[in-house]
Amino acid sequence: MVPRTNPPFTPLTLLPSSYAARARAVGVLVFSWVLPAAAFAAEDALVTFKREIQPILNQYCYDCHGAGVAKGGVTLDQFSTTAELKDHKLWLRALNNVRSKIMPPADEAHLPPAEAEKLASWIKRQVFELDPAVPDPGRVTVRRLNRTEYRNTIRDLTGMDFDTKKEFPADDSGHGFDNIGDVLTVSPMLLEKYLDAAQTIVTTIMPPGPTEIAERSVAGRRFAVVESKKTVPLTATDLTPAASGSSDAPAESAPIVKRPAPETSGEGLELSYYTPVVVAATHRVAHAGKYEVVLDLRPVERFVDNQFDTNQCRLIFSVDGEKRFEREFARMSGKSLSFRFDCDWQPGEHTFTCEIQPVGADRPQVRQLRMRINAVAVRGPLAKEHWVTPKDYGRFFPRAVPADLADRRIYAGEILGRFATRAFRRPADEATVKRLVTLAESVFTLPDTTFEAGIAQAMVAVLASPRFIFREEGVEPLRAGQTHPFIDEYALASRLSYFFWSTMPDDELFRLARENQLRASLAGQVTRLLTHERSGEFVRNFTGQWLQARDITTVVLDDNAIYQREHPPSKASLESRATFRRVSAIPEAQRSPEDVAALAEARKASGDRRSRPTMVPTLSSKLRQSMQEETEMLFEHLLKEDRPLTELIDTRYTFLNEELAKHYGIEGVTGRAMRKVTLPPDSPRGGVLTMGSVLAVTSNPTRTSPVKRGVFILDSILGTPAAPPPPNIPSLEDAASPEKLRSMTLRENMALHATNPLCASCHSRMDPLGLALENFNAMGQWRTAEMNQPIESAGKLITGEKFADIRELKRILATAHRGDFYRCVSEKLLTYALGRGTEYYDTDTLDQLVAKLEAAEGRPSVLIRGIVESASFQQRRRPPSAATTSLTQVTPAAPAAAARHTLFSP
Amino acid sequence: MKKLTAPAVSAAEQHFNAMDRRHFLRGLGACIALPSLASLVPSRVLAAEAPQGLATTATGAPLRTAFVYFPNGAIPATWWPTGGGADFKLSPTLEPLAALRNRLQVVGGLDHLNARAGADGGGDHARGNGVFLTGVRLNKSATDIRAGISIDQAIANKVGHLTRFPSLELSCETERRSGNCDSGYACAYQFNLAWRSATTPMAPESNPRLLFERMFGAGAHGARAENAQRRMQARRSVLDFVNEDTRLMQRRLDTTDREKLDQYLTGIRDVEVRIQKAEQFGPNIDPNQPTPNGVPQSHGEHIALMYDLLALAFKTDTTRVATFALAHDGDNRSHSEIGVVEGHHDLSHHQNNQERIDKISKIDRWYAERFAKFLQQLEEARDIDGNSVLHNTRIVYGSGNADANRHSHDNLPVVLAGGGGGLLQTGRYVQHGGKPMSNLFLTLADQAGATDLERFGDSTGRLGNV
Repeated sequence: MVPRTNPPFTPLTLLPSSYAARARAVGVLVFSWVLPAAAFAAEDALVTFKREIQPILNQYCYDCHGAGVAKGGVTLDQFSTTAELKDHKLWLRALNNVRSKIMPPADEAHLPPAEAEKLASWIKRQVFELDPAVPDPGRVTVRRLNRTEYRNTIRDLTGMDFDTKKEFPADDSGHGFDNIGDVLTVSPMLLEKYLDAAQTIVTTIMPPGPTEIAERSVAGRRFAVVESKKTVPLTATDLTPAASGSSDAPAESAPIVKRPAPETSGEGLELSYYTPVVVAATHRVAHAGKYEVVLDLRPVERFVDNQFDTNQCRLIFSVDGEKRFEREFARMSGKSLSFRFDCDWQPGEHTFTCEIQPVGADRPQVRQLRMRINAVAVRGPLAKEHWVTPKDYGRFFPRAVPADLADRRIYAGEILGRFATRAFRRPADEATVKRLVTLAESVFTLPDTTFEAGIAQAMVAVLASPRFIFREEGVEPLRAGQTHPFIDEYALASRLSYFFWSTMPDDELFRLARENQLRASLAGQVTRLLTHERSGEFVRNFTGQWLQARDITTVVLDDNAIYQREHPPSKASLESRATFRRVSAIPEAQRSPEDVAALAEARKASGDRRSRPTMVPTLSSKLRQSMQEETEMLFEHLLKEDRPLTELIDTRYTFLNEELAKHYGIEGVTGRAMRKVTLPPDSPRGGVLTMGSVLAVTSNPTRTSPVKRGVFILDSILGTPAAPPPPNIPSLEDAASPEKLRSMTLRENMALHATNPLCASCHSRMDPLGLALENFNAMGQWRTAEMNQPIESAGKLITGEKFADIRELKRILATAHRGDFYRCVSEKLLTYALGRGTEYYDTDTLDQLVAKLEAAEGRPSVLIRGIVESASFQQRRRPPSAATTSLTQVTPAAPAAAARHTLFSP
Repeated sequence: MKKLTAPAVSAAEQHFNAMDRRHFLRGLGACIALPSLASLVPSRVLAAEAPQGLATTATGAPLRTAFVYFPNGAIPATWWPTGGGADFKLSPTLEPLAALRNRLQVVGGLDHLNARAGADGGGDHARGNGVFLTGVRLNKSATDIRAGISIDQAIANKVGHLTRFPSLELSCETERRSGNCDSGYACAYQFNLAWRSATTPMAPESNPRLLFERMFGAGAHGARAENAQRRMQARRSVLDFVNEDTRLMQRRLDTTDREKLDQYLTGIRDVEVRIQKAEQFGPNIDPNQPTPNGVPQSHGEHIALMYDLLALAFKTDTTRVATFALAHDGDNRSHSEIGVVEGHHDLSHHQNNQERIDKISKIDRWYAERFAKFLQQLEEARDIDGNSVLHNTRIVYGSGNADANRHSHDNLPVVLAGGGGGLLQTGRYVQHGGKPMSNLFLTLADQAGATDLERFGDSTGRLGNV
């Protein structure tokens, strides 16, 4: 095979090409990809198989997978035709198993590196038919923006923060990520939401006309106390909630009252329901006329579980001494209220007054009810001659609107052309701009409709268009000798910006694409994108999904149940509770005196317990946030400092703040900020496996789940997922009696997995890994015993390595299984970058990435650059039938005269 | 970056002088309180000129169909009644339905054999959920999604044009977990009940506020109809542009990509149809109640609120076909509201531990209680023919897993509630002895006037004795 002249930026020329010069394996198998391509290509695969490969399989595999034996449903000798032989799925599994040393099993004869390489080469060249000189870039199904990308893109395009989490349904994910083209669908309801969103966004950002009603706001905090009426003397005692325990216990004396003074809170002013007070603010207007005054209120409270505050107040709002609004309010937190009033004013000062009068007798002040005055907005004068230019006007409309229709069309074309170009992430073609101008014209030529409204409507159409919602990619014409075309520069800009920032390209990326210089400046751009603060999106979204750090904010844990596993209730306590249940079940009339006495006894014991509550640890939302940050910060640290990726598994530092450190039982950390902390030398922590986020997310609500943790390690660290359980699993009760099951520890429970060979084949892979983490409870805290039994964390991997505890396990994973880990990270990152799962034809690419990582001690910069430069990222598979038009063949509109502003940039 | 919040009025509206706007609103007379159905529905039904019997009862009232899904099956011992026929005793789990026993039938012996493992191995939760309304063998893949059209959509295809919304999809699932879903199946199978086609799931709405606004319009009572109308008008010109864009884009894409764009187009066409209907049906109904706030904190409140909205949708004839997923199959939330803190899914693998069985039964009963309240609402509302709305509705309440401990899919726990316009035999416990659930679906489709379905899912014919 004659090597073809490669276009710039294929990564393929990096490894030595001669068979003899392949690198000596350093515990990891490195495969030469040019290898016997020449030797194998000419022959029929079946012939080669019989001659070269079968002897190897015969010696190492056929005991279980040949001659009629089909362990795990796999046979490797039943191929009668070449077509049958080229079973991609089967041989990919075989390849992965051999590489991660799962096969042959650890207690069988071990496959020597030379033979393993031969097998791998044969699989890649003859079964997969991969040509290392012409890698298959694969195809990504055209994908729509997911929620995160939509929100970021809108923010960067228009400046508005549109909360997609509230407005759009969750995205479906595939291969563990929510940006996979095949999986992202557009349901009819989602489409409606896109239309609504487009309308809302444009309405929010666009000035409706050249002028609008002037609006000024008097913030709540500008209101000052005029007089506070002291009709009830203040008492000196502290505020305590009425009667702890049952809420229906009658108060022994008059409720304790406090009269809190008004308090500012941010821009607003909070007036207590319990305090009679009058506050006022003044506002000066310059013109006479009709105005609209809007009072913006919000009742707030301090939430107390199971206790209610029945105090009420009356709010009176006056303008210039005239009462405009009077209403009584009970507890109604969470509602935003606004009331409009019309005023007819002369120029000068006008006064707004708010008066609070508590209504009725004072009742227990359990919840600190307050009425918050956010602001009083003054709109006007309403008459058109006093309308003013909107604040952001110049940003969207750089010059005055021409009077002439033809000039208006040109102006509209400029504005819309620029907007559409940025929104579609490539130059808008003339035809499109023309259609947009026609749309705008059809609106602004209506009676009583401004030019600006027409532009706004056209912008809605742009945001609703599939060219905004979907990421369509153009391709360049094929160069000489190229099989698969490059994606064009604009598509490359989008791929880069969505990979590293989860948003649209910025001005610099656009400029380079326009000048056809992006591919040429690739290395520099990758550095720039990674060091920019927006790369935080990459860290957050990638670790959030790969390491499931996102889920820590929503995972449900039962604090008491978890606490009780380490502090099981005493026998006496259990008996007392059982008695309580038993006697309560007997109807009252039928209880014997002994029953009644026993019940009273049990009640007292329970009351005693309740009056000495123990501080049960809980994962507050702040703590969860810190845990998420701990994971993200480690990954970010490795990225920024270009440290070996194996530090994700095993390392001597982590990121903590005071609360998290205390939760982990680590001393010496104070303050709320998260910072890098060096761990004590014998600490079991360090690395994602011992981070609270992972530990909690892989637990059940009431206890740890070693199986889930084992599965996490297999799936996300080693990249060797276990097969799904087979059908017809015999139930666990068939393995041991119910009494026995109840009295066993979790480890003993799971040992039952090992007795049945059907279960053992997979569970022997997962269980030891999860059990090694048993010292960490479901909240990620360290413990040495559970249910009064000490925890043992020793175990053995399926590949034979033994470990005494989690520290040794981490070391083994980070050294002996380094190759598996590199391959796993490469796969995950490639999936995230491309928006499709990895397939058999990516094997060469992945091999190269792993080799690079190995050669560079696992530094992420190598991996990232490798992915960005790979054929899969740079090219698209040539379509079988050429499309009728290609995106790049569409004529872009003539670029507008050099823009004085960058429109719509925040 | 400035965080801008949307103003309550659209750009177009701001052009009206503020005074004119108020006069305009008064002139529209838009403050329609929810009228009694008697004055409302006949004009709607006639306006659509429905052929006799299409989602209409013999007495001329709308015939509604709903499918409600509860997760992780039910404990058979506490689900199935004792006795048989009309002489049956409700089990502890279904006892909350006692007051309405003459308005429902407990249905046994229906299977979804395509939810069985077979050669596909694990994934009974993805299958249980995805097969429930489709009856087909799902394609086991994380990305190559292929199910089949669901029965509610098949019915909606025939009768959807009679109402503002051809169908409504509801759910109480707000979050999605990251990572993989069930055993290599795409997450879409577990989080969608309704499927427009084999590849297009009908994503449900879980936010009560958004659902309400979608049905009746945004804003306060009195302003909603006008808001909705204005939104429709603005859409027309946008749709023309977008249609052209899509047409041109279609020509540039290859086959697989075109399928994705087709989904988008389907949505566009739906909106166009809705605009046409808006003209046909006149101004929106505007119920005299405040818009719900958003997603409530507790699962119980969320369920109650969504049931309320479903009842409202039926009472106002906003739609006649709906699906409601109480939670996705495999749901592992804890039900601390009733003192069950362990995960539901984990408990459902009870391994014959009596304590766990009791807890599951408690959860099953709790779901049944919410359902009973919903049925009660429908029973108390009067339809134009004098019957209760419940009399003119059929609701399939069930789960795609039967005994969740064993992941079985035969003899599924199903309650068929409602009179079906008088066509259903209520007040009994009936055993069909092992027929496909899809057969029941065909019969229900027939009764709604969608009689041209030869087969559905894995059906072997129509189900008799319904």
